[in-house]
Amino acid sequence: MGVIGKSVTRKDAGEKVTGAARYVNDRHLPRLLHAKYTISPHAHARIKSIDTAPAWQVPGVRAVILGEQVPILTGPILADRPPLAIGKVRYAGEPVALIVADEEHQAELAASRLVVEYELLPVVNGPLEAFADNAPLVHEDIESYHNHGDVYPQPGTNIANLFKIRKGDMAQGWATGDVVVEAALGFPQSDHAAIETRCVQAEVTADGQVILHTPSQAPYEIPEQFERFFGVPAGQVVVHTPLVGGGFGGKGAVQLEFLAYLATKAVDGRPVQLLNSRERDLISSPVHIGLEARVRLGATCEGKFTALEIFYWFDGGAYSQMGVVMNKAAGIDCTGPYRVDHVHVDSYCMYTNHPYSTSFRGFGHPEMTFVIERAVDLLAKRLGIDPLVLRAMNAIQPGDTSPTRALLDYSNLGDVSACIERVGELIRWDEGVRQEVGPHKVRAKGMAALWKTSTSATDAGASAVLTFNRDGSANISVGVVEIGQGTRTVMAQLVAERLHESIDRVHVSLDVNTRKDPEHWKTVASSSVMLSGRAVLQAADDAIRQIKEIGAVALRAAPDDLAVARGRVFLRSNPAIGMPLEKVVHGYRFPNGNAIGGHVVGHGHYLMHRVTRLEHETGQGKPGPEWTVGAEAIEVELDLRDCTYRLVRAAAVIDAGRVLHPHLATGQVMGGMHMGLSFGSREHFVYSERGVVLNPQFRSYKLLHYGEHPEYLVDFVERPYLEGPLGARGVGEYGLIGMPAALANALSVAAGVELYRLPLLPEQIWRARGGDVR
Amino acid sequence: MISFDFDYERPGSLVEAVQLFLQAEEQGRLPLYFGGGTEIITLARIEELYTEAVLDVKCIPGMRALQVTGERIVTGAALSLNEVVQANVYPLLSATAGKIADHNSRNKITLGGNLCGRIIYREAVLPLLVADSEVVLAGPSGLRIVPLRSVFDRTMRLEKGELLVQIHTPVEAATASYAHVRKNQLEEIDYPLVTVSALWLSGRIRMAVSGLLPYPFRSEEVEAALNGDGSVEARVEEAVRRLPEPVMADIRASSAYREHVFRVVLMEILEAWEAEGGEWGHEG
Repeated sequence: MGVIGKSVTRKDAGEKVTGAARYVNDRHLPRLLHAKYTISPHAHARIKSIDTAPAWQVPGVRAVILGEQVPILTGPILADRPPLAIGKVRYAGEPVALIVADEEHQAELAASRLVVEYELLPVVNGPLEAFADNAPLVHEDIESYHNHGDVYPQPGTNIANLFKIRKGDMAQGWATGDVVVEAALGFPQSDHAAIETRCVQAEVTADGQVILHTPSQAPYEIPEQFERFFGVPAGQVVVHTPLVGGGFGGKGAVQLEFLAYLATKAVDGRPVQLLNSRERDLISSPVHIGLEARVRLGATCEGKFTALEIFYWFDGGAYSQMGVVMNKAAGIDCTGPYRVDHVHVDSYCMYTNHPYSTSFRGFGHPEMTFVIERAVDLLAKRLGIDPLVLRAMNAIQPGDTSPTRALLDYSNLGDVSACIERVGELIRWDEGVRQEVGPHKVRAKGMAALWKTSTSATDAGASAVLTFNRDGSANISVGVVEIGQGTRTVMAQLVAERLHESIDRVHVSLDVNTRKDPEHWKTVASSSVMLSGRAVLQAADDAIRQIKEIGAVALRAAPDDLAVARGRVFLRSNPAIGMPLEKVVHGYRFPNGNAIGGHVVGHGHYLMHRVTRLEHETGQGKPGPEWTVGAEAIEVELDLRDCTYRLVRAAAVIDAGRVLHPHLATGQVMGGMHMGLSFGSREHFVYSERGVVLNPQFRSYKLLHYGEHPEYLVDFVERPYLEGPLGARGVGEYGLIGMPAALANALSVAAGVELYRLPLLPEQIWRARGGDVR
Repeated sequence: MISFDFDYERPGSLVEAVQLFLQAEEQGRLPLYFGGGTEIITLARIEELYTEAVLDVKCIPGMRALQVTGERIVTGAALSLNEVVQANVYPLLSATAGKIADHNSRNKITLGGNLCGRIIYREAVLPLLVADSEVVLAGPSGLRIVPLRSVFDRTMRLEKGELLVQIHTPVEAATASYAHVRKNQLEEIDYPLVTVSALWLSGRIRMAVSGLLPYPFRSEEVEAALNGDGSVEARVEEAVRRLPEPVMADIRASSAYREHVFRVVLMEILEAWEAEGGEWGHEG
């Protein structure tokens, strides 16, 4: 029916445009109680005492839970985080007590009445401070923490993880080059700022089943963690995930689920809701990682990159969460999509007394791209080579190897050169990159190329089940979370394509129930279409095989002589001989009543293959299945007096392998660009000298508003990924990855000075220009 | 969510409002007059404001007055900012009010609430300060009409229980040339680094400023500098030198950058004014 490559109506469109779509907080229960937590106002302090009496005086309070009552440590990789602080607090905003009450406002009031006495400790107020000799320790005994991954914390330091790349011979790399550029760069933490704040409902049934409703990006990981940390068998935990109002990686972390479980357990399993206010969601729940970095890039005078050395110090915050994987992700793709034969990287994830960091759209890549792409622009200026030409000259190609020495080929690597060329056309690079447009106004362009592989679990996978209704239409059951990205619509397209069926006759539900829907690893890493897409294609093929088997009996033909299309199974050689699917998908009944066959249930699965763990001393190995690549550019207009600027036009070209749904793919890329510009231009936490976030509100934490955005230009290149569903590659994160770097490059050209820190606030540009603008 | 309980009352007259306020005050219930409620609600939910009684004054006759008589423009304190903007009875007031907060918030924020609120910017006062407006106040001893500048010193200095009812502005302000420039950190919807509202009357510039100091002000010394002789640059430098106190620093900007932005704004206004030769309404 040709639904692939068409922008069919999203399956969730009707519910969303009418406002009927239901999120966790829209689920009202008659006996629902409410939980709230008290937070630490200090970034690092010993808890001297907690007086719960004032909290108990609030009417309706049913339980007050303190950290010492829950002596466990949680965390997906390094188990270092108590659900409620025990003994000391490590960031301002950390939950120290949990209150359960009849009404939400009662719980809130009680949480604010609880009296905690603290003794202040010296604060580690950033990753470089954390790395300094004799820095105070955020965690005193990291060697005792359970380690569930390839993470290397260093006892007696604040180093939560060190990842290394050792490729080639650095001495040779520097010797072959003629010039070296270097820079120190960085940015503070920020947030995902999803519109839906985190909200969990939890209850324990009479027979001990733990039922959770949560907007999680990792519903299938929650039962595993409940078993690990609470000893509840994974099979006893059921997770329901309805529509999710944005996550951007932040909802992959398990946090409120633990607290909501502790709350319901304290009230005999009665349903309890725990809803984050915006302020809590911004700093108590995990945030976007910060970074300090130093880079040196060497090249020949013709522009060929020869050597690259980078030190990253990520601001993982108080607990390691996914920060200890993000520093690895940055390391494995540190060169950007360029060939560099000699690479030396030390990538640290540091503990600090800041809110703790977790996955953020792009997973270490917007961060590392900012570092390498600023260095590439510095090099272009040093050599007097056009930045686009320099990038095209060094673009990585099939036959080259990645920094971890993974061999790249025409399938697992997108077409970098084509993306760079096309983005140059879109932004009209050849018309010039800097132009004065008024007495104080300058327009300038900047660009960045990008790539990313997924750094997923080496056995990340998904499965799918296809069932049929009495009218012959199909139902897809998969575990992908619908988080606004539209993956479930794409799943329906894939099945419709295989069954040659109308998209309206392929149904998907929009929620996940971990007890009923087959597992999907996690809805992260731009990998959902890949994992569940391959699984549903296999499920469709499996269903077709079964339909043909039953049809063969009913139509007295060989299964191989049959075809399935347009809701029928029929003879390939004579389509007039056949029958509608509803006659066969629940078994076929002969006129005399006899029946044969059975219900058709298609099954499919897919697991990532041939991804390896990485060697500790060198980083060698194959970190992910494929590299989606792209290039982005932006034109800005800078006012040289006050250094305010306007975003004029932004362009992105991504190699999507094959575009399955143009509107959704474009929307993903455009949304990513917007987010990247928001992060690059303004989103950041402001810390006090004592490490407290001073802007935990949208009143003071600013996002790029509609109306301030540039004109967005999005295009795709299609070099098929042979393992991908119908050739598709992941695209979800890619629009974000190059945008902060491109913006910094454009503004550096416009301002005539090099800008090394995000966000790119006018005051920062003004200072870089020496504060002398007239 | 506001976690504490409080009473909500809607007095029908000024006398009743003042009476209820004083009663609640006596009982230690920390009463507040309630206009649009944006500040009360948003500060109460983060525990930066506490009250046990709010008195909604929007339905009191006269609080929503809007008319132009022979010599004065009457604006009720309970008009929303968007109503003031749309009525456009005083262009500089419309220009200034139209940049406060965002459109949705301006549907709620009242003119009086913006003047009397706790959040330090109170930008709606700027065009009223430069126009020499008068204010109508209702208090325990009845109504009084006084010059705004006699009761506005950084904040509205009202007596206990006193309520701002109306603002009366001389009509000459509505036809005078004006300028309003607001500069933010970067984001369009944010508190200002600097907001300047200026009027030209009888050949002189009058100017009031918010964002620069932790309160809005109109300074005769600064105005005298701007109206002095010399180049635009020299006048601007002199105006900056005469600021009543050092420029503030906060999470949005350092004092050095703020002061720089203030200079840029003054240059922009004066240069544009001289280029146009006097007849214009400038918004930036």
